[in-house]
Amino acid sequence: MIYLENNLPLTEAVFYILLAVRKPNHGYGIIQEVNEITGGRLVLGPGTLYGAINSLLSKNWIELYSEDKTSRKKKEYVITEEGKEVFFREVKRLEELIKNAKLMEESV
Amino acid sequence: MKKFRLYYDKDKEQEWLQKMALSGWALKNFFLGVYTFVPCKPGEYIYQIDLLDDFRDNNDFVAFLEDSGVEVVSRWFRWIYLRKKAEDGPFEMYTDIDSKIDHYNRIKRFFQVALLLEVICFLIEAIAVVTTRDPLLLIFTILIGTIALAILRVVWRCKWKIEQLKQMS
Repeated sequence: MIYLENNLPLTEAVFYILLAVRKPNHGYGIIQEVNEITGGRLVLGPGTLYGAINSLLSKNWIELYSEDKTSRKKKEYVITEEGKEVFFREVKRLEELIKNAKLMEESV
Repeated sequence: MKKFRLYYDKDKEQEWLQKMALSGWALKNFFLGVYTFVPCKPGEYIYQIDLLDDFRDNNDFVAFLEDSGVEVVSRWFRWIYLRKKAEDGPFEMYTDIDSKIDHYNRIKRFFQVALLLEVICFLIEAIAVVTTRDPLLLIFTILIGTIALAILRVVWRCKWKIEQLKQMS
């Protein structure tokens, strides 16, 4: 599992994309959800999102959930088990940061 | 309304399209330096210009953009002109440093290939000038040389932009 550690820390975009595909979601849905839950702070550009999705697909952290070519339905993506594992490792790392940040508060 | 312009910096071109949209002119089509504008509400659209990549599935990319609410206004060669309604919020294709660097790398690669072709043409023409001493050919050679220098400038600008972005990260 060492190879997973090498991928940390996640970029903010990747962190929020993984979060947004915990349930099947399409590109526009990801942009909107990330925008909403960050209070408009993080607006993912479609070009950035496209690149990130392809990189996550090739790493097998997310997968294609559905693609109905006949009805021109939007492609949906969903997180994989491997993606979840990476995500929770990142959360652990972030928790450590927050825990250690308390040291600063105590010193003030 | 039609306007003729030659841009070699995509960011400057984008700024100009933005200014035109702010003054009530929306780009409708682009072909070989000819920009066709139609009236719009001032500031109705936000424009972005992107370069398609030979190494990826461009139909998939364009479909993805359309699914994300982006309108593909015009497609010329590998350049695409995109827009979104300003009322739908901000619109920027690349929003983090890594993807911006990738974007300028794609543009740089594109112009490097063009530069190589121009230099080859220039050398062939230059040899022809030396052997034939034809003044018409000489003018033609100088023209190709000038274009090659302009492309070289674009490549340098891309390099400079990438360096700036790398310093930020």
